[in-house]
Amino acid sequence: MTLLAWWLVRAQFRTRRAATLLSMLAIALGVALGYAIHLINDAALTDFNRALKTVQGDPDAVLAARDSAGSVPLATVNAIARDPAVLVIAPVIDTRVRIDRWRTPFRLIGIDVFSAAAVMPRLLPRRDERAATKSIFDGGVYASPALLDKLGLQAGATVTLVRGEHEWLTTIAGDLPAVGPDELLLVADIAWVQDRFGPVGAVSEGRVRLAPNTDLASWRAALAARLPAGLLIRAADDDSTRVANVSRAYRVNLNVLALVALLTGAFLVFATQLTAVAQRSAQFALLGVLGLSPRMRLLQVVLEGLAIGVPGALLGLGLGYLLAIAFTRLLGGDLGGGYFLASAPLIVPELAPTLGFLALGCAASLAGALYPAYLNRRQPLAQALKMGFSQNPRAGGAIRTIRTTRPRGLRPLLLVLVALGLAQLPPIVELPLGGYAAIALVLVIGVGSAPLVTQCVFGWFAGCRLPAAQQIAVQNVAQAPLMAQVAASGLIVSFALTASMVIMVSSFRVAVDHWLDHVLPAPLYLRSKGTPLPQELLAALTRPEAPFARVERTAYGSLTIDSQRPNVALLVREIERSNPAARLPFTGPVLASPADTVVVWISEPMHEIYRITPGQTLRLPLLGSEVKVFVGGVWRDYSRQFGAVVISRDDFLRLGGVFQPTDLALWPLPGQEALAGDWLAPWTSGYGLELADSAEIRRLSLSIFDRSFAVTYALEAAAMLIGLFGLAVTLAASVWLRARELATLAALGFDRRMLSRAVMLEGALIAAVGLLIGLACGVAIGAVLTYVVNPQAFHWRMPLEIPWSTVLAGAVLTLLAAVVASHYAARQTTRLTVAQVLASAQ
Amino acid sequence: MRRRTFLSTPLLLPTLVTAADEPVAYPAVRPGVKLVFPRDHGAHPDYRTEWWYVTGALDSPRRDIGFQLTFFRSRPGTAEALPSPIAARQIVFAHAALTIPGDRLHHAERVARANLGASFSRLDCDLGIGAWRMTREDRSTGEVFLLQMQSPQFSYDFTLKPSQPLLLQGDGGYSRKGRSPELASYYVSWPQLQVDGVLVVDGRRQAVSGRAWFDHEWSTAVLGDGAVGWDWLGINLADGGALMAFRLRDARGATVFADAAWRDAAGRVRQFGAAEVSFTPLRTWLSARSGASYPVQMEVRFGEHTLRTLPVLDDQELSTSRPAEVVYWEGLVKVDGTLKGRGYLELTGYAGRLQL
Repeated sequence: MTLLAWWLVRAQFRTRRAATLLSMLAIALGVALGYAIHLINDAALTDFNRALKTVQGDPDAVLAARDSAGSVPLATVNAIARDPAVLVIAPVIDTRVRIDRWRTPFRLIGIDVFSAAAVMPRLLPRRDERAATKSIFDGGVYASPALLDKLGLQAGATVTLVRGEHEWLTTIAGDLPAVGPDELLLVADIAWVQDRFGPVGAVSEGRVRLAPNTDLASWRAALAARLPAGLLIRAADDDSTRVANVSRAYRVNLNVLALVALLTGAFLVFATQLTAVAQRSAQFALLGVLGLSPRMRLLQVVLEGLAIGVPGALLGLGLGYLLAIAFTRLLGGDLGGGYFLASAPLIVPELAPTLGFLALGCAASLAGALYPAYLNRRQPLAQALKMGFSQNPRAGGAIRTIRTTRPRGLRPLLLVLVALGLAQLPPIVELPLGGYAAIALVLVIGVGSAPLVTQCVFGWFAGCRLPAAQQIAVQNVAQAPLMAQVAASGLIVSFALTASMVIMVSSFRVAVDHWLDHVLPAPLYLRSKGTPLPQELLAALTRPEAPFARVERTAYGSLTIDSQRPNVALLVREIERSNPAARLPFTGPVLASPADTVVVWISEPMHEIYRITPGQTLRLPLLGSEVKVFVGGVWRDYSRQFGAVVISRDDFLRLGGVFQPTDLALWPLPGQEALAGDWLAPWTSGYGLELADSAEIRRLSLSIFDRSFAVTYALEAAAMLIGLFGLAVTLAASVWLRARELATLAALGFDRRMLSRAVMLEGALIAAVGLLIGLACGVAIGAVLTYVVNPQAFHWRMPLEIPWSTVLAGAVLTLLAAVVASHYAARQTTRLTVAQVLASAQ
Repeated sequence: MRRRTFLSTPLLLPTLVTAADEPVAYPAVRPGVKLVFPRDHGAHPDYRTEWWYVTGALDSPRRDIGFQLTFFRSRPGTAEALPSPIAARQIVFAHAALTIPGDRLHHAERVARANLGASFSRLDCDLGIGAWRMTREDRSTGEVFLLQMQSPQFSYDFTLKPSQPLLLQGDGGYSRKGRSPELASYYVSWPQLQVDGVLVVDGRRQAVSGRAWFDHEWSTAVLGDGAVGWDWLGINLADGGALMAFRLRDARGATVFADAAWRDAAGRVRQFGAAEVSFTPLRTWLSARSGASYPVQMEVRFGEHTLRTLPVLDDQELSTSRPAEVVYWEGLVKVDGTLKGRGYLELTGYAGRLQL
């Protein structure tokens, strides 16, 4: 029996080499993409976690301020140190400084070597023994090897560290031997960092190592209850959860795209196996008569599916690994998403996920083979022997047309309603699972309705008077809708997804474009990357000789609302309390706030993530305590996915905050635009500030936007290719399937050109139907992506903008490609040996 | 005479600290300074080193348990110019050990700088690193010392109540450590302290009581006269008396300086000079870990007295790991001979030559 099974598999592979290979390739592609995304993300996260572990060490808990401008008072650190459950608390000052005239700031970590040894041993410095350098306690600074390389410095070198207007002239006393080869950072004694750059009487963080038998959760809860409102204690788990949360939605979206490729692969297996079953119906019927049970006939087709799936998936794993390596080299660990540092992480495959993807590939091909297997089992043997394959074996008849009397439109209609319902579901575990399900359902509806649409359209065509060749093609499509469905399904799925992605990305891009107009009102922008702007510059800007009509200052910070989520950006802006809409693109009404309360305006992601609505009074962890603020409105923000909150400078000062601007929006005096740049030049070069005009920022933003969708496009192209392959393979198969019919036509006087043209036309017609359905589905899915998936996964909304010209041009292009693909199928007709076929039919 | 830090101050931070930019003007130890208490129980941060050292024996139905808790304060001469409260000018080390005869020696250590995890007072004995504390307190029933420490293996919380007056070593607390007068320290001992409290070993709590010996010593001098190590003894005698004796050894093992003080049961104090004190090894114990050979059984003679030490456990070798490794032997011994008692023996400089 097994011998027979393998013999059949081998025969199948030999006779249907192209189709089998293509199916394998499709499965491989799906697996490869999914696996590559997994590998890349895994590597990026590992990389990120490793960097985090280097700098943060391995504490049980971290005590930090909720407000990025805040700090942990030394008294609190010392009080926690006295807790018997605490083995050690390692205080840290984490800041950014510029080194000499380098434009980009680097991280400077002030540590206490005594406590750091227990919690963050990788940050311990090594003093250079040759150079007569200062010890860390005497103000020596230690640089990571990568930083020394980058700056071209050696131990003993004198450097000036600059932050705002504070400067520190010191020497490089040695290196950080345990820091990773990519880390760029400086380490110095905490007392020196505090003395030179602050914060006075406080530190950035305290990293706690607890006694081994302490219950972390209860200790944390007890401490949290005692902590001042501005501080939080977070567990080490929170950090990894936060890191994972950073790119989660983006990752899930990419993985869904990979699943789509896999799904297309499954459709291709379906097409291949269905035609294979049809083609060999006589063979199977003969075997059945000879005693092969229906169950064995089913298993045989399933086995053939697996025989495609296993090598396909294996190939996919190898391909995925290579893809992952290539992508990380080209785009970095976040695939252009901009979530992680741009270093290329190391790809290390692990067994369990690898096996998972292998299984996924096999499952896809199995799923594709199931229906053909079922059909094969149900074939009535005697009829199959005589008449060939039956598409509707239950009816027991031969090749039948679909009964038009049954209201077949009802089921799709019901499914449409279900899809609509799914799209209304709220996010599940913070992922738009309902939206994804709706998308899958739309695809099912699209593929399922293909026979109906085919029949409607071509039934009408068939009634028209057409030349013989065309008439045959139309009749063929109209009367064999299942074959049309098979051929078109891959195309429907791939085109629908491509169109939807194009629609979503285009809507998003248009929205971002409008948004940029609104958020970039000034011609010039100046920013210091993470360090406060020098006071001298701010003072110079207020003098009458400064060539600016208007200057608006912003101070950037961040707040921890939930320690398991990425921080929310805090923007202190010079904005009018009474008219915030002049600067912020609000999505809804702006509420007037009571005069004596502090008002904030929250971004759309913050509104979505934390479910905060306008009019609500919020307790914001600001300036070391919890401040009651009134939420005045929600504004659109496409740049800070994890939320942002704007507070006016006046309110911030009223709360006792120190306004330290990091960013400036500048309006040069009319006619002095060129002068403005020159005026600023000494500042930008002297303090490493970044000056950009709004056009440049806009260009850069859009290019980042386009890059982040680069992978999406790559996946879409792959899906389209698979869809076209599917069409070609199915058409080719149908030529074999109808060999007798074609041979009869040839005998009746049709020449090969006419036959081949009929097949090509058939392919074009099927493709046209597929594209039509695909387009409809694409618009529907595009709407789901835009209205459901995006707000739920990324927390931003945008209007739907369908780029008709692009989508239609794509459809036409695909149609042309389909014609070319059908040409390949049509060539099969030239290989028919008419006499032999007709002879064997007798 | 706990001169571990005489050696270890420069040793402790060899990778992190060398000579400061400018030499630090440490005050010298001079004779004739009147010590005032409780102020002089407090820290003297201008001096280079200082330690508060409590060793003791806890009564146990089987054999006595030894314990030790030490706070070292060091002014390494770093960050002297940095006007920050958390500048690394004063580093505090704490070391705790527990000897359970028939079992093993447990030890734990902590280190932190002043105002950042560690604290001390200039006015009274009030020391802390994290939850480890050594404080003096005036109570209605008299003054007490409170000792607290925690580590994963063991922890204790003791109250030490004096049963006798303070013992000022040397000349009113001025204690010579070498032939030249600069080699000296201020040295205050408090023998025969009654210990009561709770000891936790491997999670098991027990109420304990016993006798302890408190030493407080501060100085600027480093080891002189070619000495590479020392043998020290502090014994609470069974009759209520107290004995402190030490000698400094050179590289050949010869005594370069020695001293002893004996307060008898009646409270009379007798001092013994270098010529009157001798240490003779009777039996050595070889440490498999360090390869060092320690004379754990020692014959000590002073004046007309001859005593022999008998360790409750041979392996009472210690190694401090942070920031630099110092290996030595320090443990509970019984003393037999013309006087009987129990106390601590410290043997340093046996595990290789201690480098300055």
